[in-house]
Amino acid sequence: MKAVGRVRPVYLIILVDAIGFGLLYFYKKPYDNYILLAGLAAILLITLGYLAIKLAKLGDGYLFLIAGMLSSIGIIMLYRLDRELGFKQIIWFAAGIIMFFISCLLFRALHIWERLVYCYPLASLLLFAVTLVFGRSIKGARNWILIGQFSVQPSEFIKILFVFFAAGFLSRYEGKLDEAGELRIGKLGIRPVFVLMGISFMHLGFMVVQQEWGTALMIFLVYFMLFYVFINKRIYLIINAVLAVMGGTAGALFVNHVRIRVDTWIDPWKDIAGKGYQITQSLFAIGAGGFFGTGLGLGRPDYIPEVETDFIFSAVCEEMGIFGGVAIVLLYFILTYRGFKIALSIKDQFMKILAFGITLIFGFQTFIIVGGVIKLIPLSGITLPFISYGGSSLLVSYISMGILQAISAGPSARRAVAETPSTGNAGPAISEVASSGSGDAGSIEEAADAKRAGSVAEAGESGGVSPSGEEES
Amino acid sequence: MEKQNRRIIHVLIFMSFLFLSIIVYLTYFETFEKDRILTSSYNRRQWEQEDTTQRGSILDRNGTMLAYSKGTGSKQERIYPYGRLYSQVIGYNSRAYGKSQLEAQYNNELLNIWEFSPIAGLKNILSGEPKAGDNLYLTLDHKLQKKAEQLLGSKNGAIVVMRPKTGEVLAMVSKPDFDPNSAQLAQNWQDMVESDVHPFLPRATQGVYAPGSTFKVLVSAAALGNDVGGGTYTDRGSIVINGMEIDNYRKEAYGKIDMTQALAVSSNVVFAQIGVELGERNIRDIAARAGMNRDIPFDLNVSVSRFPYGAMDKTDLAAVGIGQGRLQVTPLFMAMVASGIANEGVMMKPYLVDRVVSPSDVVIRTTQPEVFSRLISPEIAADVNEMMQSVVTAGTGKSAAIRGVKVAGKTGTAQNELSGVQKNKEHSWFIGFAPADNPQVAVAVLLEYGGSTGGKAAAPIAREMLRLGLSEG
Repeated sequence: MKAVGRVRPVYLIILVDAIGFGLLYFYKKPYDNYILLAGLAAILLITLGYLAIKLAKLGDGYLFLIAGMLSSIGIIMLYRLDRELGFKQIIWFAAGIIMFFISCLLFRALHIWERLVYCYPLASLLLFAVTLVFGRSIKGARNWILIGQFSVQPSEFIKILFVFFAAGFLSRYEGKLDEAGELRIGKLGIRPVFVLMGISFMHLGFMVVQQEWGTALMIFLVYFMLFYVFINKRIYLIINAVLAVMGGTAGALFVNHVRIRVDTWIDPWKDIAGKGYQITQSLFAIGAGGFFGTGLGLGRPDYIPEVETDFIFSAVCEEMGIFGGVAIVLLYFILTYRGFKIALSIKDQFMKILAFGITLIFGFQTFIIVGGVIKLIPLSGITLPFISYGGSSLLVSYISMGILQAISAGPSARRAVAETPSTGNAGPAISEVASSGSGDAGSIEEAADAKRAGSVAEAGESGGVSPSGEEES
Repeated sequence: MEKQNRRIIHVLIFMSFLFLSIIVYLTYFETFEKDRILTSSYNRRQWEQEDTTQRGSILDRNGTMLAYSKGTGSKQERIYPYGRLYSQVIGYNSRAYGKSQLEAQYNNELLNIWEFSPIAGLKNILSGEPKAGDNLYLTLDHKLQKKAEQLLGSKNGAIVVMRPKTGEVLAMVSKPDFDPNSAQLAQNWQDMVESDVHPFLPRATQGVYAPGSTFKVLVSAAALGNDVGGGTYTDRGSIVINGMEIDNYRKEAYGKIDMTQALAVSSNVVFAQIGVELGERNIRDIAARAGMNRDIPFDLNVSVSRFPYGAMDKTDLAAVGIGQGRLQVTPLFMAMVASGIANEGVMMKPYLVDRVVSPSDVVIRTTQPEVFSRLISPEIAADVNEMMQSVVTAGTGKSAAIRGVKVAGKTGTAQNELSGVQKNKEHSWFIGFAPADNPQVAVAVLLEYGGSTGGKAAAPIAREMLRLGLSEG
């Protein structure tokens, strides 16, 4: 990372924001001074957040910068589409950054997360029930609830709750997932893996009922990858694959909504004025942009329906070109790569699965919506993390990112100290891992870590994950 | 833990593949797909440009105005002063129905859209002048075009007139045609779309027909190049090859004749034998050299002229020898074949747009003649040229003769799917060029389902086109 020299990534973000908001200032007469203020606010938020992470030694230095860059592009694009939305998005962005730090600090401070295994699906169930009862239909799907004057999309929160549940469950029953009678419901002994499958399919069911096909697909992909990595018996992977193929085929054949999506993916030109309208308008926009784009404010992304949320990527492609679009895809790719790196280097099983799951959500969500709007795969409307307009989406993205940041920082001082008196209050998951005696190098190392004094342990861990000085010259 | 980390890396590789596929698909879309879709009438962007840009005019080679826009801004109306005359070349430009032919292919030039046009347009924004698109000067000659249209009259078919040495298209008429002016287009649209004579099919470039005896020109060229057909043949008016009976027109028997005489009288009996003698490799070779089974680069979309054979038996060779069987060619292709013989065996790339000129009369781009394919050697071309002259002086093409000018040509009467079941449904062909000793004009005439021989129906039309072409030249 020495090659970076004196040009720190944060300077690049400042440059992009300065150019973007500067162009927006000249875009429309009468000149709007608030745009410059908004740009200044965005730059300030990102720089301060970045400094805070550096000073507090909160681990990976790139995560926040990438999120900041993506949000900047999103705000610039939204501002250009609709001034009011741009302003709202800045407020959400500020709230998101606050939530980022709150969730990061809370996650590090409290050590209850892996013990709450069953609370997460219960919370999901509750959210789902509330949506069903009090839900409002926006754009056909009944998946919004109104709180005061805000509309909230509970499915955004359900996906992160699902990852927490899966991480807690998988780490608790590590190595014993396939043992009959390991988990008891009343007198009935049951293999934990079936409980995992059942609760996961319950989440999937929520999404299907709410007709959130994109989120359903994403949850399934995350679930399937968790099975691939953390469950040794391949038969369960095969069962899930067969179920997925069957479910997918049945959906494509019998569920009208899914069939229409597949049909318009295969040939949107057939019904260009009707079902194919959205996707063809998106393709027109991407085509109109060419490699270099029409230039900010010079295209007509406003012709695309739902351009602020699902189709924002097409708008970026139209005005910033394919190169702009590819740059964004690469930013997500680096983000995912950093996430995988964190998951690989973490020893704690719960944290590892959690980091892996959150990263997968970012990765798959990006692929599903970007692939959808460019007609690589059938379109299913979900938001593009950090860029699309919307409070729920932005907040959940920043909360997830905050947790990933906390994990990258390694175990906190308090945690290391708390683990010193051994199995006492470290929680069932860890003690089970340790006592299962599977000869796992990770748990032994962790025990050794825990015996060291707090600050030493922290330095050691964070060195393994992401040296805080990594991108400093 | 090791195993899990290894699997996490597998997932990372999978994820990289997903991201890469987005980038590859975007690039593919931008390079190959977008030009095809952007002219759709549902793409409102093109009208956006139209509202701020005065669409360029289209003129013939001598500056005759063929299409222009009246009015300014969104009130612009596209005027085609000659109505149907150029409908199958220039096409239409309609807000309701989109664009076709040259109006679609050259939309970017006519509206002055290119990567840096926003920067170039700054001057207009500052000066307040409306932007103007570039004008197209075609290679077409209005007099020839008008004559061709008159000669076709109410018959369906196509006439293509070219300069053999450059590939310039001097006239290109397809019938049936339509009135491309907006009001008439709107009035007749439904009828024309549902009509079974397909008025929107530009016969000259996209109609495909059996070449009939005109194909014997290529067979002769192949025979001369491979030392086949040197002796004399005995023509009894009919021959059985491999169980298939092949007859001359009206079973006329010509007795002992050589290949030159056989071409002049268009003896099927002789050319079926020559086809068999040439064999699959030589026949396939001449078809490939002529550009069959290959896209012809042109300013309009051209259907591929097909030589659709796998392994060929004697029956196939005999059928191809007389231009029947499953051969499919466009009138433009046959005009290129005639031009190729005329131009000493070199087929030139055909073109319609001579130059693109800016509104301030600066020439932006001039089309340079390019070689399409080297068909045969100059010596063989000279021999075929002489053989084709004898068609006009002593054979089936006498009605193409012009006093004082040496004319070379070949007639064709092509059987088709209708001529088998009904009487008088053959296509009539004539291809030729003049003056034979210094070719200036080449022509292909096709009359669809005319039921008359090429010599009777098509040759007189070709004569008139050649005569006018020479006097214009």
